Parts: sequence; C-alpha cells; structure tokens
Amino acid sequence: MAVKIRLKRMGQKKAPFYRIIVADSRSPRDGRFIEEIGTYDPSTDPSTFKINEELAKKWLANGAQPTEVVGKLFKAAGIEK
Amino acid sequence: MEKIYEQTMLYDFYGELLTDHQRSIYEDVVYNDMSLGEIAEERGISRQGVHDLIRRCDRILQEYESKLHLVERFAKAKETVMEIRRLAGSADSTGDSDQTGIADLTKITEPDGQEPGANPAAAEPVGNDGGEVFSHMVDRMQRIAHLAQGLMEEL
Repeated sequence: MAVKIRLKRMGQKKAPFYRIIVADSRSPRDGRFIEEIGTYDPSTDPSTFKINEELAKKWLANGAQPTEVVGKLFKAAGIEK
Repeated sequence: MEKIYEQTMLYDFYGELLTDHQRSIYEDVVYNDMSLGEIAEERGISRQGVHDLIRRCDRILQEYESKLHLVERFAKAKETVMEIRRLAGSADSTGDSDQTGIADLTKITEPDGQEPGANPAAAEPVGNDGGEVFSHMVDRMQRIAHLAQGLMEEL
C-alpha cells in the first residue's frame, strides 16, 4: 500500500490554494487522507507555503512518495530525506 | 507561475467547455495532484492516453485564454484591487501593506497627536504636520479614484 504526499485543492473558484496531505495512493478522490502536513498558496507573489517539517521528514523516512510539485516545495523548504 | 496553479485557474474559467470525460480526468490532475500512472491504472486506459488527453485539454484551455484573456484580466483586476486596498491603508493578506492610511486619518482628526496628559509643548511639531498629511491623503484618494476608474472601464 503506497502512501503519497500530494496536494489537495481547497479554496473557492478562481482562488485556489492547496493543502499538502499524506494519503493512500488509492484514495485521492474520496477526500480521505491520513494527515495534513502543510499548505501551499500559489496566488500570492511570490507563492507562499507552510510545511510541518517534522511530519514531512517522518513520512519521507517511512517511504511516502511526494508528487512532483510537492517534491519541489520540499526542496524549496530545504527538506531532504 | 507553478504549472498546477496555471492549470487550475484555466480550468476554473474555461473548464465547463471541456467534455465530461475530459473534465473528470483533468480534475484528477488539478484538484488531486494525481500522476498519469495513477489515473491510467484507475481507469484502465494507457498512460500515454492520459498524457495525450491532458495535453489536449491544456491546449484547448490555453486557446480559450489566448482569445478571451479572462484569467489575465482577472489577475489584473485583482492586482488593482490590492493596490487600492494598500492605498486605503487597510491591512491586506500580503502583510507588506502601507499601514499609514488609517493612522494618517487619526492624525488629522487629532491634529495635536498627543496622548492624554502629554506635554502640550511637545505636540506642536506634530500639529504642523497636519497639512502635509492631509495633502498626502488627497493624493492617495486621487490615485484610488484613478485606479477604480480603470477597473470600471476594464470590467
């Protein structure tokens, strides 16, 4: 059972922001997720994000796979495996 | 601009012009950040098929934008509103707003600018500041009016 770290869209129409969540790879659409570890707001300039570093590291160490975008955010936040 | 944000904005504005099938897959990408492989596996179609469909949707949405510019105009209007807010001196979400607006107003209404019980002699220079602050306010309001005018025309 693969666990992924991905973005989940929140916010209103035309004003999106995202939560960074840890979820089972097979339940992305039903909204179930294991844990929320941060947020990402691309509408500000420059875009802003908040990541709970401790949780992110924990999940990475446990083998959770970040998606491409989340990987980029982690890199920007200086979070390595 | 981050790709997923660009795609989301385009989808918010023009998504309804896609077919149901296209929308369903595109939403997996922009709402749930799913990978091509995941979408393909779940729907029993090839990864290449998903890839082609998403590229096609990207192109279709871009084409609408290049003709209608709704996202661009929305972004511009939003910027103008932020600028008006900044000029009006209200705190905005970016946190770097020019906060002097409202403070200036209080200075005008209380030209002496003194705390109750403060030494009246010390208040004099602040009182002289009133005229300058007032002209700042007028200048600010004129700029707001100008921006609002532009916004009305644009819309």
